[in-house]
Amino acid sequence: MTTCDEIEADKRSEQPGLVRLVLFFVMQGVAVILVGFAALFLSFEPVWSAERLSAAFLKPGDARSGSLLLKNEEGYADATRLGIDVDLTVSGPTVRARVTQIFRNPTQDWVEAVYVYPLPAGGAVDTLKMVIGDRVVVGDIKERQQAKIIYEQAKQKGQKAALTEQERPNIFTNSVANIGPGETVLVQIEYQEPVQQSGNEFSLRVPMVVAPRYNPVPVVQSVDFRPDGGGWGSAKSDPVPDHDRISPEVLDPATNAPLNPTRITVRLQAGFPLGEVKSHHHAIKTEKPDASTSIIRLAEGPVPADRDFELTWKPAAEKAPSVGLFREHVGDSDYLLAFFTPPSVEQAQQKPLPREVIFVIDNSGSMGGVSIIQAKASLIYALGRLQPNDRFNVIRFDHTMDVLFPAAVPADREHIGRATSFVDALQANGGTEMVPAMRAALSDNAGDTNYVRQVVFLTDGAIGNEQQLFETINALRGRSRIFMVGIGSAPNTYLMTRAAELGRGTFTHIGSVEQVEERMRGLFAKLENPAVTNLTAKFSDATADITPVAIPDVYRDEPLVLAAKLDKLAGSVEIKGRIGDRPWIVTLPLANAAEGKGLSKLWARRKIADAEVARTTRQASPEDADKTILALALEHQLVTRLTSLVAVDRTPSRPEGEPLKVSELPINLPAGWDFEKVFGERPRIPATPTERRADTEQARVQVAALKRVQPVVTQAPNTVTLPKTATDAELKMIAGVILLTLSLILFVFNRRQMSPR
Amino acid sequence: MLRFILPLLLAVIGLILFGQGAYIHAKALVAQVLLERAFEKTVATGRETKPWSWADTWPIARIEVKRIHASTIVLAGSSGQALAFGPGHVERTPDAGERGVAVYSAHRDTHFAFLKNVVIGDEINVMRSDGKQFHYRVDATSVVRFDGSGIEPLADGHQLVLSTCWPFDALTQGPERYLVHATMLGEAAGSR
Repeated sequence: MTTCDEIEADKRSEQPGLVRLVLFFVMQGVAVILVGFAALFLSFEPVWSAERLSAAFLKPGDARSGSLLLKNEEGYADATRLGIDVDLTVSGPTVRARVTQIFRNPTQDWVEAVYVYPLPAGGAVDTLKMVIGDRVVVGDIKERQQAKIIYEQAKQKGQKAALTEQERPNIFTNSVANIGPGETVLVQIEYQEPVQQSGNEFSLRVPMVVAPRYNPVPVVQSVDFRPDGGGWGSAKSDPVPDHDRISPEVLDPATNAPLNPTRITVRLQAGFPLGEVKSHHHAIKTEKPDASTSIIRLAEGPVPADRDFELTWKPAAEKAPSVGLFREHVGDSDYLLAFFTPPSVEQAQQKPLPREVIFVIDNSGSMGGVSIIQAKASLIYALGRLQPNDRFNVIRFDHTMDVLFPAAVPADREHIGRATSFVDALQANGGTEMVPAMRAALSDNAGDTNYVRQVVFLTDGAIGNEQQLFETINALRGRSRIFMVGIGSAPNTYLMTRAAELGRGTFTHIGSVEQVEERMRGLFAKLENPAVTNLTAKFSDATADITPVAIPDVYRDEPLVLAAKLDKLAGSVEIKGRIGDRPWIVTLPLANAAEGKGLSKLWARRKIADAEVARTTRQASPEDADKTILALALEHQLVTRLTSLVAVDRTPSRPEGEPLKVSELPINLPAGWDFEKVFGERPRIPATPTERRADTEQARVQVAALKRVQPVVTQAPNTVTLPKTATDAELKMIAGVILLTLSLILFVFNRRQMSPR
Repeated sequence: MLRFILPLLLAVIGLILFGQGAYIHAKALVAQVLLERAFEKTVATGRETKPWSWADTWPIARIEVKRIHASTIVLAGSSGQALAFGPGHVERTPDAGERGVAVYSAHRDTHFAFLKNVVIGDEINVMRSDGKQFHYRVDATSVVRFDGSGIEPLADGHQLVLSTCWPFDALTQGPERYLVHATMLGEAAGSR
């Protein structure tokens, strides 16, 4: 019985416990409801993870994007955008450049972007990479036609593809197919280039914009020329058959913001302690990790691509090293690059021969603005440097031409005065018919061998028919030597160097009014001092394939540059020549050569240039020259007139049936150029002073994007800031459940401890 | 009795936390019902109708993804208050159906939780408060930082972007946003 009682008693005692538990949970429920109600009336902002659209309205960055938007509405919203990043590494005698072009498509269509851009004329382009998201597609070298076919096929199939083609040795085109709406594609090309040396000074140049070219009749272009020239010849005799490939749209700087923002970084390892490092047309910041290394960046961030970047450096020592010998082993061959600056020997007693100097000045429309001022200043300086026993003449040309004196005249005060006032009155206008002017300058009637004949040709070289000019020089040069003076912010260096080479002279570049005197003084040192002539190079042990085949004459302060392919690196090389009337000889032991980079490519590039020259000068048949070029290009992976780099991403991206639009990227007008002089009158719009700065914000973001490649890289100047869209509901609920479980466990644990009682 | 205080305290805190979390979801759910009603009324009367008397926002559109049976009412503005009740229309972007990029944003764990099920090719219908309907097709998804969306609100074409936090299953807030890009197919005839 007692047991029964006990059970009963137990039940009774359990009852209140159960009630208590139920009550507890009821209370909990009530609490939940209470808390909920409380929350409804209290502000729970932080709980909702609310963040107002950050004060984006007030940021100065936003104000700028607002003004950019305005530019868009002026008719520039459709365009594919582009950012450029140039990274140069100078190691001793060579420059390795990596140019990254960032193509962004802000439109809603699938786009094919086509961008025409310049590179140094001596640059050997050997690498193409395309970066889409986190994939990198490396390009292959192919014959030009074949590459084009591969590219077109990929384009049809909706695959992303990039194609690098050479239009001129210094003009290249990148085409990128199937850039999706809002997508960004990076195209990276790399090239190798020799460092330029002149006297004590080393230099490199990064051309940034293809200046608008004058394409002679019968091509009807936006460039104005005399209407009476129309009707000349048929399409077959078109002097510039590919003019549409080298004439991208140029934006009027007065009505458009500058575009194509460019960043430049130079890692300068000269191989000797550095003295002065100077950028001539851009403000720079320089870091010096050690004595022979400098890292150079643009001081004001990205700049619009509208002028060439020119960097010069000098050694800390008083005199630059006059000899440089570098080697590279590739495959089973050794490649050698030799620099040698001949000593400047004063002519012994003997008086130098008097000179006959023909000055040619380009006063076409493309020279408008600052260029004509530089050209006139240069020419007036040159006139002042003439000696009384010299003879001279002046020729000016646009699409017309004037020769000042019927024949060369003595450089006496009266003639110099007349010439000076003639030059002073020149205005830049009209087209650029360079060939007749060159022909006139080279017509050498007097034939007086007592005079050294020199042609000083001042131009920006903005023509599309370079080949015609080269042929003229080659046919008519006779005993004249041609000294090209490149004027302006973006001269055609290919035309300048090739014309100077064919004319056995030199190329001097004048990029700003401040450079006129210094550079012209340098040029006159070359004109007035005897050149090193009859140069030959002979290797004692090795069999060598030397380029240039015929070593050109070397002028005062210029180095002799030789590249050679050797079967073995042994013995020495002996260079012979004549300075004035004295024989000159030097022997360089090859064992002392230092390791260099990319020399094989430079050698190949130089050989290709030789073949192109041989083709121009008819020393080789076009077929033979082309065969040589093709073989060299394919072996050394170089982009040439006959070969292109093509990269295809195998995964198709453009859905079938979606149309593809071609977007030819416009370029800036070179700095200092006058838009109206080149393209004629524009509709008058009150010109607002625009800051000549490219859209820097965008460039920075894009370059950042380049460094951290993400699944989708989309950046824009005026983007929407997205609100916070995560709540901590889950977090709180989980924390709540954990705490409740904990309390329940404790509760049960407590009961357990009590129950034995 | 003292030993009961600790578990009780824990229980209370846990309940409050859980309550707050549940409340966010409850509010999101309840608000949508009220919003649905207000939106119907807005469409019918053509006047802005507030879902409840003290609301500082009003419904402006309904987003629907038929394939996964998702539907939600969008509110004007993307402030935190608005986002608690429904997706918000991001300020300074055009309305759906207008030229440019319309951007709607909502919490990943409530109204836009369905975005993780949206795939490229899905059709999104947007009905505006003026009764006009627009069809969009999803053509891309992407992950961006909140301050680097790459969205130009006045770009060409007619586009829609739905944005929410990324990654979906994270518990804490982060800088990344998941975007669903869609392009308009055309205005639907069957407008009410």
